[in-house]
Amino acid sequence: MIPQSHYLALSACLFAIGIFGILTRKNAIGILISIELILNAANINLITFNKFLGSPDGLGQIFALFVIAIAAASAVVGLGLVIAIYRSAKTILVNKMDLMKW
Amino acid sequence: MSGLIQLLNSVGLPQEIVIKATFYPIACLILVFALLVVLSRNIFHSALYLAFVLMGVACVYLYLDAEFLAIVQVLIYVGAIVTLFIFTIMLTADINTGPIRGMIRRVLGGAFASLAILFILIRVIARTTWQAAAQNAPAISLEGLGRSLMSKYVLPFEVISLISLAAIVGAIVIGKGQKR
Repeated sequence: MIPQSHYLALSACLFAIGIFGILTRKNAIGILISIELILNAANINLITFNKFLGSPDGLGQIFALFVIAIAAASAVVGLGLVIAIYRSAKTILVNKMDLMKW
Repeated sequence: MSGLIQLLNSVGLPQEIVIKATFYPIACLILVFALLVVLSRNIFHSALYLAFVLMGVACVYLYLDAEFLAIVQVLIYVGAIVTLFIFTIMLTADINTGPIRGMIRRVLGGAFASLAILFILIRVIARTTWQAAAQNAPAISLEGLGRSLMSKYVLPFEVISLISLAAIVGAIVIGKGQKR
C-alpha cells in the first residue's frame, strides 16, 4: 500500500502550487481557479486521515463533502461578483480594480 | 477500489505492484497539470487543465477507499464548477493577459513564498512518525456514509443546504444588475 506520507506530500505540493497561483495571477478568475486547487489539496488530506486513522462513521469523508459544497458556493458567488465587476468596471484584472483605493 | 482488487486477483497480477505502478504516474500527472493551471498565459487553457487536475484527484480518492467522494468530485467539480468557470471566462473579455510590468518580481516573490511553505510542510511530514494503526480497518460503505450523514451529522448537513440556498439567491441578485 501507498504510505500515508506520500498522500500528504502530494497534497502539500498541490497546496503550494495553489498558493503560487494566488500570488502571481492578476486575473480574478485565475485566483478563483487557484483557490479550487487549494481546496482539493485540503480534501486529499481529510480523506487520507479518514482512511489511516479509521474513523468509524466516516467523519473525514463527510467533512470533505461539506468542503466540496462550500467550494461550489464560493465559486458561484465569486464568479457572480466577477461578472458584476466586469459589467461596471470593464476589467477583471485585480490591479485595475482600484475604485476604493485612496 | 475493492472491485478493482477483485479484478486484479482474478487476473493474477500482484495488486501491490499494480497499485504502486498506477498511483505515482497519476500523482505526477496531477502536479504537472496543476503547474500548467497556474503557469499558462491563456486563462481558458488554465480552466481546461483544472478539469484534468480534478479528475486526477478523483482517482486519488479511489485509492483512499472514497468511491462516493470520487463520483461527487467528477459530478460537481468537473461537471458544474469547471463549466461555470468556462462560461465566466467567455463572458468576460480579457482572456490573454499580455505582458505586465513587474511580472518577474511578482513571479519570483510568489515562487519564494510557495516554495517556503512547501519546504516547511514536507519537512514536517517527513519528520513525523505516522502510526499505521488502523491500516486494516474496514472502509466505510456508501450506506454507512449516508446513515451517519442523516443521523449524527444531520445539523451540519442542513446548515450546508442553507448555505447553498443563500449562494444561489446571492448569485442571482449580484448577477442581475441594476434595473433599467
